[in-house]
Amino acid sequence: MSAPVRSEDDRSCAAVLAGLGASPATLRRFLDGHGARAAWTALARGEHPVDPTGRYRDAARRARPDDMALACRRAGVEVAVLGAPPYPRSLATDRDPPGVLFWRGDLGAMDRGPRVAVVGTRAASPRGRDIAAAMGAGLARAGVVVVSGLARGIDCAAHRGALLDDADVPVVAVLGTGIDAPMDPQRAALRDAAVRRGVVASEIPPGAARARWWFAVRNRVMAALADVVVVIECHDRGGSLHTVAAARRRGVTVAAVAGGADSSCSMGTNRLIADGAVPVRDAADVLDVVSARGGGAASPSPDRSRGAVAGTDDDAPWRRHFDADEAALWQALGDEAVTLETVVRRSGLSMATASAAFERLALDGLVRDDGGWWRRAPRQGGGGPT
Amino acid sequence: VSSGPPHGCTWRIEGAGVAESLPMLACVSSATLHGVEGRPVAVEVHVSAGLPAFTVVGLPDAAVRESRDRVRAALLSSGLPWPARRVTVNLAPGGLRKTGAGLDLPIAVGVLVASDALPAHAASGVGFVGELGLDGSLRAVPGAASLVAAMACDHVVVPDEVAPEAVLVAGARVRPVATLAELVSALRGAAPWRSASVAPPRAVDAPTLDLRDVRGQVVGRRALEVAAAGGHHLLLVGPPGSGKTMLAVRLAGLLPPLTQAEATEVLRIHSAAGASEPGVLATRPPLRAPHHGASEVALVGGGTSWLRPGEISLAHAGVLFLDELGEFPASVLDALRQPLEEHVIRVRRARASADLPARFLLVAAMNPCPCGEGGLPGACRCTDAMRARYLRRLSAPLLDRFDLAVALGRPDPCELVGGPPGECSADVATRVRAARAVAAAREVRCNAEIAVGDLDALAPLSVDGAALLERRIRSGSLSARGLHRIRRVARTIADLAGEEPVGEAHVAEALHLRAGRGVLAGA
Repeated sequence: MSAPVRSEDDRSCAAVLAGLGASPATLRRFLDGHGARAAWTALARGEHPVDPTGRYRDAARRARPDDMALACRRAGVEVAVLGAPPYPRSLATDRDPPGVLFWRGDLGAMDRGPRVAVVGTRAASPRGRDIAAAMGAGLARAGVVVVSGLARGIDCAAHRGALLDDADVPVVAVLGTGIDAPMDPQRAALRDAAVRRGVVASEIPPGAARARWWFAVRNRVMAALADVVVVIECHDRGGSLHTVAAARRRGVTVAAVAGGADSSCSMGTNRLIADGAVPVRDAADVLDVVSARGGGAASPSPDRSRGAVAGTDDDAPWRRHFDADEAALWQALGDEAVTLETVVRRSGLSMATASAAFERLALDGLVRDDGGWWRRAPRQGGGGPT
Repeated sequence: VSSGPPHGCTWRIEGAGVAESLPMLACVSSATLHGVEGRPVAVEVHVSAGLPAFTVVGLPDAAVRESRDRVRAALLSSGLPWPARRVTVNLAPGGLRKTGAGLDLPIAVGVLVASDALPAHAASGVGFVGELGLDGSLRAVPGAASLVAAMACDHVVVPDEVAPEAVLVAGARVRPVATLAELVSALRGAAPWRSASVAPPRAVDAPTLDLRDVRGQVVGRRALEVAAAGGHHLLLVGPPGSGKTMLAVRLAGLLPPLTQAEATEVLRIHSAAGASEPGVLATRPPLRAPHHGASEVALVGGGTSWLRPGEISLAHAGVLFLDELGEFPASVLDALRQPLEEHVIRVRRARASADLPARFLLVAAMNPCPCGEGGLPGACRCTDAMRARYLRRLSAPLLDRFDLAVALGRPDPCELVGGPPGECSADVATRVRAARAVAAAREVRCNAEIAVGDLDALAPLSVDGAALLERRIRSGSLSARGLHRIRRVARTIADLAGEEPVGEAHVAEALHLRAGRGVLAGA
């Protein structure tokens, strides 16, 4: 780290180097030495000692620091270079830090603690999304910075939950694409909310082409930032396992939420638990793990006392009077999501009766319909808002 | 003569006394097929002095041009003279494209009359249609019923094979013949016509697959029953092996049998497409299941030489089953929207245009996503891009046409192996007939066709039912268009239950019989 204070020009050149498509380690070697501009000029001439074969020469010749600076300004993206402020301490001390960070929001959020990464599959079940949202909200309420990747499914649900709580606890989102990459409207809204409440960061310059391998590389950044990594739902060979591997290399505690033994989207998490990950159920469990690691400001188990869980699913009928059809439907729903077909078979109700009973219970928020899959609505309280 | 002969008359102009040198002209009535309708055609034959030749003019297609060789061979093998002079055949009106081999017979008769082998009055007031074999035998032609209906003649001569369907529309005017020689002797008065012996096609209620074979699938069976009772289009969404196809092909067996008028129309369409069984009047509603490789023309009708009815017309008064709906090209699916609304398909081509009947009950089946597992929460591993690409083919307007959309799961193994057999089709069909009778008493053909303006009068809602719908609309899970469809389906469900007015339970069931759309949206 030879240039402790980076100039504007140096940052633009560093951003250009980050866009060449080199691995994080190679990028850091480019940045070591006599400043980013010198490295860029040498690369463009094919004379850089790190790149004797001239692999990055053409890309370096095509790039222009001025254009990069303009692109960043247009996207509202700022650049932090390893070794110079405002590069976050939490990442600077990592074994494999990003050479350059592109970010929007408040980069200081990365140094707030404690931080918990909540990750999981894109193809999540409604149950998994509910758990993730409740966990995000519970963690934020306890003062924990929720780190996630803004991917569809679990990632988004966790951040949505964390942002739902109006406490002033920041969130950290680490993207596997450029910060300005197009997203569907819901995720884009979530990204903007994360910018307002914390930071959205990426190793990839704005406007860069999408590449699959960036997602796996990005996962190590989440692991590096986190005190605890929680996997909510993960398929047998899901991408979240990259995050878990990176966390284990760094000695970061891995926790996982168990799922049904036959549930495809819990195969990965169940195996993590079998392999020694800490089983957790909700935010309170995670807070216990965080405090066991000695992680700063988190207030363990803030809103409930362990062992005295208030009420079970079966007390729902006593929340309001159930008629015979509604009771039969409630019984038939059980704990997992089921289709109308299963309900009719289990309860012996006619389709019309079952549908009508369902509609009445749904009106009171006791049951939910997720694309044709019926289930009991999550309990209020305990895990946080749903 | 220049303005053309009146329709249905045969005449001849002879050179007075100088027979060898002067031209002779004959005109014979026939018809050609246009879509499923027949169009009258006058076949004019001109025999004159000159080098022996045989030309056909008047927009003939390849099959008509080839009739020259068939007609000549058939005449010679029947022991009839072929004029060794210049023969010109004109097919009037000249602007209408003539198709098919059915004009062989009128051309042959015209040649005989023009060459003086037949008296002119013998063929007067008689229409002819039929394909000739080289040995002089007569062969069936597609669309005989429509062709016969188009000819306003006293008698119509048709090949034996298609006589029953001709009798269906033309009754005693039909004159069946087996060979050209038989026809000539009848026209000369040497032998009687065999007309009294022709019976109309016998009504056959072809056996269909029984619903009893489907075990489990409560929701799917119920959706089928409601679809049959109300004429509601049905979409089945489910993973491979969930029995979508098995259910869909049994829908035709639940519909009431065709009326005589419907059966005749179906016969005419199928005959025009060359898809009918001779001598049989099917009273079971047809089931057509085109493969997703089918082109737009094959599905909606058309073609280069003549307008052939497509699969949707062949499914008229019956069921059109589109398996793997997501695999059909988007253009093909969008072509379905007009017939679904108007019950007719207006085929417009550069050379010709026609309106083909297409009132069918649409049943479609598809997987929820490319991997097929999308229905089960968390089981699908398709990327969002893959799902989006898969669903992009189904335009929202098309999906909107489905009153019923149900998600099917794989059946429970216990039910498959040891479970009781399902209810048989006959029992369900009885309920369907009763519900249809209730709808008919309201003077609508089926509940799916109740006009929006009539919903309040014909499908009044109970207070609970109205409240439920209002809640659904407020929560944004039901659109205004969806509302009408739900009300029609709820009307059918109430009819099946024999209840009045449409209550909360009926509305709730209708809502959940449409919930399959949620699976596609990707919860």
